[in-house]
Amino acid sequence: MDEKELIRKAKKGDTLALSKLLQQNYSFLVKYLMKVTLHPQIAEDLTQETMMKCIEKIQLYNGESKFSSWLITIATNLFIDQQRRKKREKNWLKQEQALRKMKWNTANRNEEWTDVIDVLARINEEIRMPIVLKHYYGYSYKEIGKMMGIAEGTVKSRVSNGLKSVRKELGEIEEAGS
Amino acid sequence: MKKQDPEKSNSMLDDEDEVTVKQLIDGLEKLEQINPVSAPNLQWFQQHVELEKKRIRKKQWKDLLAFISFAVFMLSVVIAVVYRQPILFLYFQLVGIILLPLALNNTRKKVSNE
Repeated sequence: MDEKELIRKAKKGDTLALSKLLQQNYSFLVKYLMKVTLHPQIAEDLTQETMMKCIEKIQLYNGESKFSSWLITIATNLFIDQQRRKKREKNWLKQEQALRKMKWNTANRNEEWTDVIDVLARINEEIRMPIVLKHYYGYSYKEIGKMMGIAEGTVKSRVSNGLKSVRKELGEIEEAGS
Repeated sequence: MKKQDPEKSNSMLDDEDEVTVKQLIDGLEKLEQINPVSAPNLQWFQQHVELEKKRIRKKQWKDLLAFISFAVFMLSVVIAVVYRQPILFLYFQLVGIILLPLALNNTRKKVSNE
């Protein structure tokens, strides 16, 4: 059964179709949230919240964008809301702990940690999100603007400035290492 | 499930940016490798969907009951006011009747000015 058929059935109230749809998109959603939160536990929690929201709002999905893009929009807004609710300092501490854990896991697997993740973690999430959406997922500025509820021009400047600061910080790390 | 080839979307970038983007993509892919994700089985999703649907139905009933209770309250207040002091109700009507032609007249004037 293809995705369109599943969506049609899910909108009519078919629990099995909706469950299959959610299962198909689960990994994609966790991976996206992992990249923008840089925190596996928060990514899992937000994925479940997104799923709940999707069950509630499935009737409102109009098929204008891909189903996965619609889920990304919900997840992005949930993450933005969560960040606004929580205190920034506490978030920073939690993220530091998560990064340390990931570094530990990487070392245990005899793999090398990449500095770019540290740099991304230092950037504000409102800049990190459009960078990931633009340069990893390949969404257009217009689509990202719609997803985040901001103007296309704002997305462009956030991506451009964000990329510049990533480059600058990576350069500084390389200089310090050499 | 990437939407499109990110390389294509990066065609407008200068060389320095391209290198940074390449580093970013590699780093993010590494992040995926460090934290492998597997979706739970279908039964787990079915259970959650059913529970959530039940919760939504309950919430909708609660909202409907709250709305009906509020409507009944407002209606009883209006009825109480009308029956105990009908003159107040008539005054409101009278003020409304006087103001209505004025409001309509204003709209007409605006239209004729255009």
